[in-house]
Amino acid sequence: MNAVEWIRFLIGSVFLVIGMVIFFTELFGVFHFKYVLNRMHAAAMGDTLGISSCLLGLMIFSGLNFTTLKMFLIVVFLWFASPVSSHVLSRLEAATNEHLSNHCELYEDVTLLERELAARRTENTMEKEADLS
Amino acid sequence: MGKEALYHPFFIILLILLSVMLLICLIRAVKGPRVADRLVAVNMMGTMVMVMISILALLLKEGYLVDICLIYAMISFLAVVVISKVYIGIYEERHHSLENGEGGNTDERG
Repeated sequence: MNAVEWIRFLIGSVFLVIGMVIFFTELFGVFHFKYVLNRMHAAAMGDTLGISSCLLGLMIFSGLNFTTLKMFLIVVFLWFASPVSSHVLSRLEAATNEHLSNHCELYEDVTLLERELAARRTENTMEKEADLS
Repeated sequence: MGKEALYHPFFIILLILLSVMLLICLIRAVKGPRVADRLVAVNMMGTMVMVMISILALLLKEGYLVDICLIYAMISFLAVVVISKVYIGIYEERHHSLENGEGGNTDERG
């Protein structure tokens, strides 16, 4: 083995280990949070970042051939598929849970949420101005 | 050849770690109190199995295993979408048949 192959192995294994750490974080988050809509946040991270980091490491191992192209295709497909499946899952949870307001705040209309966010923003800026003066 | 001796144990260690995490995911899928919990866990398991198949493709030097991985990604995405749609349908049907007066509550959100 010459120096170039050693460098390739090191870079690829660093990416694979990063992917493993992200998978472990995902697993920890899924056990740590108490409600599905919180758990989904942790679970969606592994679908995009974890698998793309792992497959990037494997692409560096594999070199420049059709296997690399197919792995890149998997990553691109998951970038599109993972947000859609998260959206469908959260829709399932919102449609079937009758006690959703116990877990999170619900708004009847989007304009109410926008109004509250605008009010909060003006409060923050006023506090900052008071701090500055 | 020195190259094999370096890659082979590394891949084996990664496969063992991934299979342990897969088992913990399965525990989450069994324990999950709601249907969405189980589906999230199954989705995570699908992602880990995809990484395992890609590692096996390089370990066994069989390029076609990556094709299987691509098809696995498509099928697991389709499974999540179809199961959640079907479950929403079943839930609304049951809700309407049980209490006809209160059925309109879920339609606004779904």
